[in-house]
Amino acid sequence: MAHPLQLGFQDAMSPIMEELLHFHDHTLMIVFMISAMVLYIIMLMMTTKLTYTNTMNAQEVEMIWTILPAIVLITIALPSLRVLYLMDEINNPHLTIKAIGHQWYWTYEYTDYDNLEFDSYMIPTQDLPNGYFRLLEVDHRMMMPMESPIRMLISAEDVLHSWAVPSLGVKTDAVPGRLNQTTFIVTRPGVFYGQCSEICGANHSFMPIVVESLPLQHFENWSTMSS
Amino acid sequence: MLSLPALCVGTLARRGILGTASMRAAHGHSGHVATQEDMSVPRYYDKRSFPLPDVPFHAQLGTEQKALKEKEKGSWKQLSNEEKVALYRLKFNQTFAEINRPSNEWKTVLGGIFIFFSFTGLIVWWQRVYVFPPKPRSLTDEWKAQQVKRMLDMRMNPIQGFSAKWDYDKNEWKK
Repeated sequence: MAHPLQLGFQDAMSPIMEELLHFHDHTLMIVFMISAMVLYIIMLMMTTKLTYTNTMNAQEVEMIWTILPAIVLITIALPSLRVLYLMDEINNPHLTIKAIGHQWYWTYEYTDYDNLEFDSYMIPTQDLPNGYFRLLEVDHRMMMPMESPIRMLISAEDVLHSWAVPSLGVKTDAVPGRLNQTTFIVTRPGVFYGQCSEICGANHSFMPIVVESLPLQHFENWSTMSS
Repeated sequence: MLSLPALCVGTLARRGILGTASMRAAHGHSGHVATQEDMSVPRYYDKRSFPLPDVPFHAQLGTEQKALKEKEKGSWKQLSNEEKVALYRLKFNQTFAEINRPSNEWKTVLGGIFIFFSFTGLIVWWQRVYVFPPKPRSLTDEWKAQQVKRMLDMRMNPIQGFSAKWDYDKNEWKK
């Protein structure tokens, strides 16, 4: 989860999120350079002693400020497309989990082997044990095995929702009557928090997502115990 | 409720205190009375970007001024300093230094900005006292300390983020 006053992204817990972090660093660097240059030019414009304002021809500078932005855009587009296509790689998932959005909770279904299905409601603040994360904790976390490609099928029962976990680099809309697929691999064990990301009514802010990733053996133990 | 401030603004506006003309006059931009200019003939103007206007400032010259213009046709070395200045003032209204003179307008602008900031600050303060509900119980220092401990125990953001700054061997924040 994020800590208070956090400015940057959470640490990456999946390879795609790592790629996104690097891409963001690359693009933000370009953005900072452009902003610094624009600020410098504004400052120059405001402090000049020159007074002539009727320039008619500026062919050389026009060439420069057409070609240079085109190069900048290509420099941003190429890594962007690379990450985009990486996200769509075929990765042969080991497990399929369905996440169904309701007003205002999530249902997780593990139907590959046994019929495991449970609801995940937010723990209200008044029932929260001391030191727990307000508006983020749920009664039943979505468990999953680490270091395995997982396929998520996201849908909704009533209105639009969105299943998002920032540290995994996942955000997929839950559309009623539609199955949206996303795949990811969690590289580390741990607990990862997210929140519903599509306005869905009064308690839209109060249906968080908590993913807990475990080594495969522990996941199988949990799965057997739960179903 | 709306009528009271509207009344005050009305009286003040009639006195011209709030008008832009009086604001500009207070900063030395006054003296620009709008008259009906004939825009179809070349006219004089003081502009930074057009240093040489189409017509001189004083188009109609008196006798002395005409004599001075005749003297100008000869060698300029015979012109005294005052004559040169007088010739300049015939041709131009303001010198470049006068056109580009700074004003104190920025102080008014900044002052106005600060007044609005403080007024907004008062409103925000009033809201905090009379409107905001009580804070959630997770914002007490005790809860926040337990929360930090839980985040460290769960190894939140262990690579570069939160838990990366905690020294787990020495049980303290990294220096």
